[in-house]
Amino acid sequence: MQNAKDTFYVMLQSRLTALNPSRTIVVRGVVRPGTLVEENELPSAWIPVDTFRLQWTELQVNSAGPLPLVSMGCSIQYVTDGSSGNGGMDRGRLLAAMDAELASALGAEPHTIPKMNYSAAGDGVAPTTMGTNVFWADPVFNAATAIGERLVRTTTVQVLAYQEAGEL
Amino acid sequence: MSTTTTGAAVVASVAPVTRRVRAYFAPVNRSTGVPTLFDAAQLGRFDLHEPPSPWVDLGWVSRFVRKCGTKVEALRAGAPAMTVGQVRTEVEATVSLEFETWGKLQVTLASGSQQTNLLTAAAGATPNGSGGVAAAPVPLLTGTGPASTATSLNVGTAAAAGFRVGSLVAVDVDYTGQLGYVGTGVSSAYVQSSSAVGGDVNYVRRVTLNVGEVAAITAGTLELASALPAGAPTAGMQVSQLVGFCDREGASFFQEWSGLFVMPGEQGDRILFHYPRLQAMQGSVETEEALATPLERIRLAGAFRALPVKDANDGETVLCFRSYLPAALRVV
Repeated sequence: MQNAKDTFYVMLQSRLTALNPSRTIVVRGVVRPGTLVEENELPSAWIPVDTFRLQWTELQVNSAGPLPLVSMGCSIQYVTDGSSGNGGMDRGRLLAAMDAELASALGAEPHTIPKMNYSAAGDGVAPTTMGTNVFWADPVFNAATAIGERLVRTTTVQVLAYQEAGEL
Repeated sequence: MSTTTTGAAVVASVAPVTRRVRAYFAPVNRSTGVPTLFDAAQLGRFDLHEPPSPWVDLGWVSRFVRKCGTKVEALRAGAPAMTVGQVRTEVEATVSLEFETWGKLQVTLASGSQQTNLLTAAAGATPNGSGGVAAAPVPLLTGTGPASTATSLNVGTAAAAGFRVGSLVAVDVDYTGQLGYVGTGVSSAYVQSSSAVGGDVNYVRRVTLNVGEVAAITAGTLELASALPAGAPTAGMQVSQLVGFCDREGASFFQEWSGLFVMPGEQGDRILFHYPRLQAMQGSVETEEALATPLERIRLAGAFRALPVKDANDGETVLCFRSYLPAALRVV
């Protein structure tokens, strides 16, 4: 399951970065693409703005077939205060831009990618390609909410993959 | 040089998972009854966005349902009667689907009968349900300027002034008394007598599927947004403008086409359903999909019955072919 989560995250980060390379975030002093998985970061009450934050939520495993079919809920939350130069009056536009980027990234073909194993990957060590694909359903964009002057949207997408023999 | 091929792990086979179905069209030669056959062994892995000629992309379809109407009966003998064998008493297959787009081809196939182009009417034409008497067609020039192709129509500078970017055009031969199937590229109607069509010189252009849209006009040449289905115009073809399409409940013609439906699997596998001969089994039907009150999306609904062909491999008479191409390195 972790391989599927990692694969989906890397795919989404890659596609979003290609669409808007200037969307970045500084995490622990390092400039990174503006997409992160919350459970992979240090716990913090700070909510980064103008960034896609992934949370893995529900999990279902259907073991009826020869390979268990794993279905995972992925919640993607993004918030914006607008830009200070515009006094926050462009927060609707910035949210719409993030909506469009996410819709484009998840809607682009292919809707399936080979599952990768990143457990041993690192500097100079490439991830290994596994035998099955990760695929996902259409995203569901939930209603935007306003918290003060901040706009928040949570989009959910169902990510599916087969659990391969020996995979943990 | 090593000749060793490294072995790779083989993964268990799983049931295909697909999200949608893509449909493709190819003509049936109605005069000879010869359909277009799709060879999954040679072409099964084609790029879904670039179907091999002569297949034409119909786009994604929804609510794709195949039904098998084949009946298998028990053959009984003795007393008491016991089943000693089985026989097929009836063989039938149908397909129903909804098109996601309203292109000329989709509207035609879903209409189930001949589908007319609403040709721009001549001034003062008497009103008629499928369009009044059409304006005079525009000839394609030969020997003056570039030759017309599947994507550019040389009508000359003077005639080009009568077109604009966005004009819809039908390109086909004049009606001069032909009987039987008419329409270049795809048989689009059947003429029983010249009098039935009023000897209308524009009748073939009124029913043809050889239509396009003008994307640009350059020095007397109409540049089309996409290639004409029948390819480069032949001698004698003329151009008529049209404003849209029309079909009628109760018309007598049966459209027939070769159909191919592809389900791309999420694991790299692929299911292909090939029906060499499909005929519409219902009239014009639409379905409504509620979007958000009061908006509704209207989809073209088509239902088709398969007609038989002979498989050249063994002479069996069959209605459809289902092919499965497994993903790489799967247990088979």
